[in-house]
Amino acid sequence: MTAYLANLATLVAIFGILAATLNFVVGFAGIFSVAHAVFFGLGAYAGAQVALQLFPDALLACLVAAIVAGGLSLCLALPALRVRGEYFVAASLGLQMMATTLFSEAKAFTGGIGGLVAIPRPTVAGVEVGVLPLALAALALILFLTARLQRGAFGRTLQSIRDAESAAEALGKNVAAAKTLAVAFACAGAGIGGALFALHLSFVNVESFTMDQSVLVMAMVIIGGTGTLWGPLIGAILLLSLPSGLAFLPFIPATEVGAVQQIVYGLAMTLLMIFRPAGLVGDLSKGRATA
Amino acid sequence: MLFLQLLLQGIQTGALYALTAAGFALIFGATRIFHFAHGISFTLAGYAFLFAWNAGWPWWAGSLAGVLAATLFGLAMERVVYRPIQRHEGSFFTVFVAAFGVAVVVQNLVGMLAGRGFASVDTPLSRATEVMPEIFLAPIFWIAIGVAVVLFVALSAFLTRTHAGVALRALAQNPDLLRAYGLSSNRLSMLAFALGSAMAAPAAVLTAMTTGLNEAIGHHVMLISMAATIVGGVGSLRGAALAGLMLGVAESVALQFVDTQWAEAVSFLVLFAFIIFRPSGFFGVVQTR
Repeated sequence: MTAYLANLATLVAIFGILAATLNFVVGFAGIFSVAHAVFFGLGAYAGAQVALQLFPDALLACLVAAIVAGGLSLCLALPALRVRGEYFVAASLGLQMMATTLFSEAKAFTGGIGGLVAIPRPTVAGVEVGVLPLALAALALILFLTARLQRGAFGRTLQSIRDAESAAEALGKNVAAAKTLAVAFACAGAGIGGALFALHLSFVNVESFTMDQSVLVMAMVIIGGTGTLWGPLIGAILLLSLPSGLAFLPFIPATEVGAVQQIVYGLAMTLLMIFRPAGLVGDLSKGRATA
Repeated sequence: MLFLQLLLQGIQTGALYALTAAGFALIFGATRIFHFAHGISFTLAGYAFLFAWNAGWPWWAGSLAGVLAATLFGLAMERVVYRPIQRHEGSFFTVFVAAFGVAVVVQNLVGMLAGRGFASVDTPLSRATEVMPEIFLAPIFWIAIGVAVVLFVALSAFLTRTHAGVALRALAQNPDLLRAYGLSSNRLSMLAFALGSAMAAPAAVLTAMTTGLNEAIGHHVMLISMAATIVGGVGSLRGAALAGLMLGVAESVALQFVDTQWAEAVSFLVLFAFIIFRPSGFFGVVQTR
């Protein structure tokens, strides 16, 4: 039971990182990316390769993952600078679909469909450590940074871009630089989440980085509340405990748990959008949350 | 010869893509709603036909059931999901997420009720014969092209010749002015959803007869329709249909150079390139919202 809870806590922390970083671009910068799992995947593969080829130092793996994911985030920043709204969602979907194919075909880097196996246990400065404390530390760091950025000049610039891009530009804000930086920060964060994920499971394959995963993370942000600090984390906790919660219900056959889970979160997304578009947390602290 | 075979295959797929894409483009053009559950109309139409066929209904009754299922779903989405959202807030992303949620729910329900994996109906129409040396064509090739051309001509005629069609195009250009003329934008938006969703049904029926359906097919169809609408230029039905045809051909012809698993990636490469270099598409007006 402790092992089970520790596993769940680690996953919550990792997905909390993903949701918090996605929230940063969606909620603050108004860049609606449906390709977050791509950067999660890039980080996971990069981190796994570091652990397999060099040595399993968790900090090094996270650093490399952040650099790889953050660097390749230009693929996402480029369309974000060109188009907005529906067009950008379409571009990010396109990126996600191409990346899924690449992940399953670039066997040298990703191990193909079979994935990368036997990733060694992580160490920090030569001492073996669990992933849970690392993930919690990373999550705390990212939430702290998000809160700081949100209140600082950078966050204000992003929010002004979200609400009125032309006005922000007219006031002399460098829109292109701000968007690129925001996307790079979020993707680097997702990369760190990916590296921790790879070290935690000691196995990764393309299944974890498909569009379904991007949508799951998106659902966490939406259900929790976009543009809030704690909403995405709450969304992550809710959606990750859902499958285990459903598993305890006797009348659902085990083979259908996955489908029922998807139906529940699909329904939650739709109903929230109709009745409470601000999400769970956004609704509790009206007005303040998105300010 | 392989190239010609792939090209013909691509035209068949492309004709079906063109139909679905034109439906999506009609809805998006007229109502500005990014109907992300459009693929679900396709799924429901396909499975309605499949069930009717297996129950021993004649093909036309099954097709009618398919058209009905697609249309009803489109109308229900407009009434139950999109209109309440647009009443209190019009953000495109709210609409997108809500539609996505519905798509996830229906896809899983279909998987649970109809079984997962590919299902198809077997007709003599889909049996290929050698029409030229090394070129195999099934009668359904001609049917697909014929249906696409007929429906497209009919839709164009409707949009340019009839009162309701002209009103639909006016809704796309200036909804306020339309209301000032005393026309109901609500009713027109329902018309757009009914017509656009119905356009997905023939393609679904023909797909059920050829490659078969699975519960996740709506997803693929949706992504292709969306890609075709953007590549063709938003607001242009002709552009969407042409782009749909082109994507089908590109997917198929690419098989000569790469393996099957890259086929879908080719479509999205085209989409991605268009968004970065020419966001207005083939026929669209420059508009980067």
